[in-house]
Amino acid sequence: MEASGEVRRFAHQQWPYEPNYKRVNGWQMHYVDEGVGNPVVLLHGNPAWGFLYRKFVKPLSAAGRRVIVPDMVGFGLSEKPVREQAHTLDGHIANLTGLLRQLDLRNATMVCHDWGGPTGLGFALSNSDRVRALVIMSTWAWPLPPAEFHKRIFPWRMMHAPLVGPYLLGHHNALAGRGMYLSVVDRKKFRAEAQSVYEGILPDPGSRLLTWTWPRWIPLDESARGLARFEWLERELRKSKFPTLLVWGREDEVFDHATFATRFKELLPHAEGPELVTGRHFLQEDSGEEIAGKINRFLDRIDGKQS
Amino acid sequence: MTEIHVIENYTPEGKRRAFVLAEDRVGHYPEFREFFVRQFSLGANRLERPGYVRASSGMIYALVFIGRSGEPFPDGIEIYALPDALEPLNDSDVDADLWALLRWMIAGVGGEWRVEQLDATGRLYQLSVAANA
Repeated sequence: MEASGEVRRFAHQQWPYEPNYKRVNGWQMHYVDEGVGNPVVLLHGNPAWGFLYRKFVKPLSAAGRRVIVPDMVGFGLSEKPVREQAHTLDGHIANLTGLLRQLDLRNATMVCHDWGGPTGLGFALSNSDRVRALVIMSTWAWPLPPAEFHKRIFPWRMMHAPLVGPYLLGHHNALAGRGMYLSVVDRKKFRAEAQSVYEGILPDPGSRLLTWTWPRWIPLDESARGLARFEWLERELRKSKFPTLLVWGREDEVFDHATFATRFKELLPHAEGPELVTGRHFLQEDSGEEIAGKINRFLDRIDGKQS
Repeated sequence: MTEIHVIENYTPEGKRRAFVLAEDRVGHYPEFREFFVRQFSLGANRLERPGYVRASSGMIYALVFIGRSGEPFPDGIEIYALPDALEPLNDSDVDADLWALLRWMIAGVGGEWRVEQLDATGRLYQLSVAANA
């Protein structure tokens, strides 16, 4: 919602969904709310927004599920704070918690990708009475460090270094454009149907702040700001018994499945998968319908077990 | 690394401050903060005056250092171009000047941070200013 009170609407043939807004934790948060049934919450990360799940909404809602797709505060159609200090990992978990409590969701399946992992799992592990299952894709939930890639100066640490981040990712929108392009398998299709949408939703440098702020929250050493929260995530996740499905991109070089899906499997030995699909980090772009089908079948199996 | 020159004792007259870039967390990697402290003697001068640099376009930039209670100084930086008071900025000149300023900064930070890595990052993301670097 703009300062005028006007609802922000994104008109696009691939995104025919009504906008919904809640004020949560001091910010206006946008979400899509389609279908009826047990809720499935689809959580994006950096620098995406709900559009990443455009191929999930119809198959999941058609299968009798309520599909909630929030835009993280700072992305998509949600309010975009203009100061880096407005963004903290705990604050983003609190944003999501505020939204899902206002919607009074119960029996929710949390579908977690990228920073939707630490935030969505943070919600699930602190609101276990509202959650019934997890789907985990290309993310992490433990300290130090997520991947070898994140320790390297070229390109990762350089990309978000002081002043370089605001210039490269702010002035030049490098992550929503070229960055996502490099992180899909079918780049021609991505460029044709999606890249301009991800770039256009972050229209000016001020709106792109979170694209270089999130990378700075990845713990790289013992002094990192988010370290204690990640230690808590790992500790609590290891104790959790949520039915879980792991889905990973076969071509994901950053959160490679051999390292990351395997580690989740160690934390959650009862998890199904990892089920591998065509995809790099943004596997939803390459295999959206296929992953939605896997989620439907996974939830059908849970329903069968519970009936 | 000769594209950016620090200017001592500069007094802007007939200029305006045109905001071009901000960094809220210059100490995210502490060696970046230490570079600016060294370069502009911020241990002694702190908030007395901005740092001024001249870029190859001829434009002078003011580096305004931001302090926050509880954080080492400086915590943030705002960069302003100083054009003639009523003249608009040339966007491509500013873009090239900022890239030169980043190269100058990385060279000054030193250690494991190398200008070649910045150039490679710029090329990876297809920045025109980095195309020939």
